[in-house]
Amino acid sequence: MRLLVVEDEPTLRQQLKKQLMEKGYSVDVAEDGEAGLFHGMEYPLDLAVIDLGLPKLSGIDLIRQLRSADKRFPILILTARGNWQDKVEGLEAGADDYLVKPFHQEELSARINALVRRAAGWTSSIIQCAPISLDTRTQAVQNNGLPIELTSYEYRVLEYLMLHSGKVVSKTELTEHIYDQDFDRDSNVLEVFVGRLRRKLDPDGSLKPIETLRGRGYRFTLKPMQSGEN
Amino acid sequence: MKPLSLHLRLVLAASLVLAAFLGLTGWALDNAYRKSAENAMQEQLQGHIYALLAAADEDELGRMYLPPELPDPRFSSPDSGLYAQVVGNVGDYQWQSASLVGQQLNIIHPSDAGEWHYEKPTNHTKLYTVNFSVIWEDKNNTEHIYSLAVGGDIAPLLNQIQSFRTTLWTWLGGVALLLLFAQAAVLQWGLKPLRIVTRELNQIENGKADKLSGGYPSELQQLTGNINSLIHHSQASQERYRNSLGDLAHSLKTPLAVLQGAAEAQDARQLQAVAEEQIPRMNDIVQYQLQRAAAAGKVTLAKAIFIAPVIQKIIRSLDKIYQDKGIAHTVTIDEQAHFFGTEGDLMEVFGNLLDNAYKYGKARVNISAEETTEKLIIHIEDDGAGIPVDKIDTVIKRGQRADEQQSGQGIGLSAAYEIIHLHQGKLKINKSKLGGVEIIITFNQ
Repeated sequence: MRLLVVEDEPTLRQQLKKQLMEKGYSVDVAEDGEAGLFHGMEYPLDLAVIDLGLPKLSGIDLIRQLRSADKRFPILILTARGNWQDKVEGLEAGADDYLVKPFHQEELSARINALVRRAAGWTSSIIQCAPISLDTRTQAVQNNGLPIELTSYEYRVLEYLMLHSGKVVSKTELTEHIYDQDFDRDSNVLEVFVGRLRRKLDPDGSLKPIETLRGRGYRFTLKPMQSGEN
Repeated sequence: MKPLSLHLRLVLAASLVLAAFLGLTGWALDNAYRKSAENAMQEQLQGHIYALLAAADEDELGRMYLPPELPDPRFSSPDSGLYAQVVGNVGDYQWQSASLVGQQLNIIHPSDAGEWHYEKPTNHTKLYTVNFSVIWEDKNNTEHIYSLAVGGDIAPLLNQIQSFRTTLWTWLGGVALLLLFAQAAVLQWGLKPLRIVTRELNQIENGKADKLSGGYPSELQQLTGNINSLIHHSQASQERYRNSLGDLAHSLKTPLAVLQGAAEAQDARQLQAVAEEQIPRMNDIVQYQLQRAAAAGKVTLAKAIFIAPVIQKIIRSLDKIYQDKGIAHTVTIDEQAHFFGTEGDLMEVFGNLLDNAYKYGKARVNISAEETTEKLIIHIEDDGAGIPVDKIDTVIKRGQRADEQQSGQGIGLSAAYEIIHLHQGKLKINKSKLGGVEIIITFNQ
């Protein structure tokens, strides 16, 4: 999942980047509204975290411009102003949720999680494609109830494929959504990740959860079922 | 451009009207006097012609004869300003009064018998002249036409008009002066209340008074009343700011003391635990006091805000935030229902209360508002777990005791309560038919 954090306070920006990367997101950062707008327009994002009090272009205007340019990714507002007038204005401008500073790390990642999942059309944090289940909140992956250990990048690939299960995901798309812009990309590495995922999820080769479509990309083949837990 | 002062406007307008009125009056009187003087002159000259005709006799040749002693002695003295000429069609009959001696003047305009002819003075003659022709029957019963002309100098007339003018304009000037003084006095008296307002406002600014006194004319009373309410409101909100600031500072001292204690204990793990506990608590305190200080309260001259669109906006926002819960809501709001206060206060009240309803409700939230002439009543219901009756008071007072309480649930209800209270409204908590909480808010309109 590729996130954009637009925050002008350098310490908070670095903290957010570090925390979110530890949670397994690839994170781009921007220090003002104009840089944020450039990132939002140019890169395929899965979510943007936007501070309202930004220099050059205010958070509200940034959100309005992104939405009027038909950018549909979820937007989470960070704001020091907790009054309802500001919250409502932000949400009416096109944001999907807000978080008032100061906030707990866990609260932020839970909100981000929920927004990303909701944007992909899932109502629950647990994505179940029998027999494989993935919990976007805890990042736990299980096969028939047995836990599977994944590295951070393996998890990112699997999460993206499962959130878009049944759809063809090109290698470029996958690369763009799991790496941030500073990362040295190599599509061969992607093949290695997919290979390892196949071995870990389906050691005996009976399930074939990830299909390779030559020249087009990958597809997660198992049928999803909405989990009841929320 | 700066608008002209009231005083200047009134002075200018009244002076223009005064000048126009007096000017026109003077002009009309002057004209009328001149006309009547000219008419008088004409009649006088006509009279002289009749007198000449009466004095006329016949000489031995049957021609008109005018005696050397004429009725008006001015005809006999040279350059007297009154002259007469007679021309007849009997040979070259010509006669002129002795006053015309040594002057080359012809004022005769021959005309048909029985007709009067008037001539205004020219630059050359400076005379008013009257011509009259008569048919004269001599002894032999032969008819002859004689033309008589009398000329009068305009100088006496001009003098007369001049002296009338002097008198007229002196009087009009005097009246104008009097009226100007009267106008100044009227303005002074009429604008006095405004000067008093200004003086009292200055006193308020200098801290020598805290409101405008009551005795103003009815036109100003609404204005001064509103100024007083504004002053009162700003004093009240200043007071509230001061109190909030004091409360904020004091209530932050306790968690700060705890943190300081933990920092001095030099136990990193304990410090972390204490910080984790105290930071949210400090955050709650800041949030609550900020909301309290930001509330505008009852505003003077508040324009009515329709509550329906504001509540719709909040509901759209909450639907977005709580999308996963899929809360069904029923909104029954009287379209005309309105609130006298700021939109900020209204949003704060309903943002907090509806957020609670969405947060604690399971699947359903109902909002209704009805307005009577005296009251605005709003109901908010949810189907959550509800608040135990004995806890209601604690929940409402939660914000006030933020420095005493353990950090926990939000302080939204408490903040909403404070704002409603500022608007002299009431908040009541009941058990809802849906199972959860029913909040009833009443504002006096």
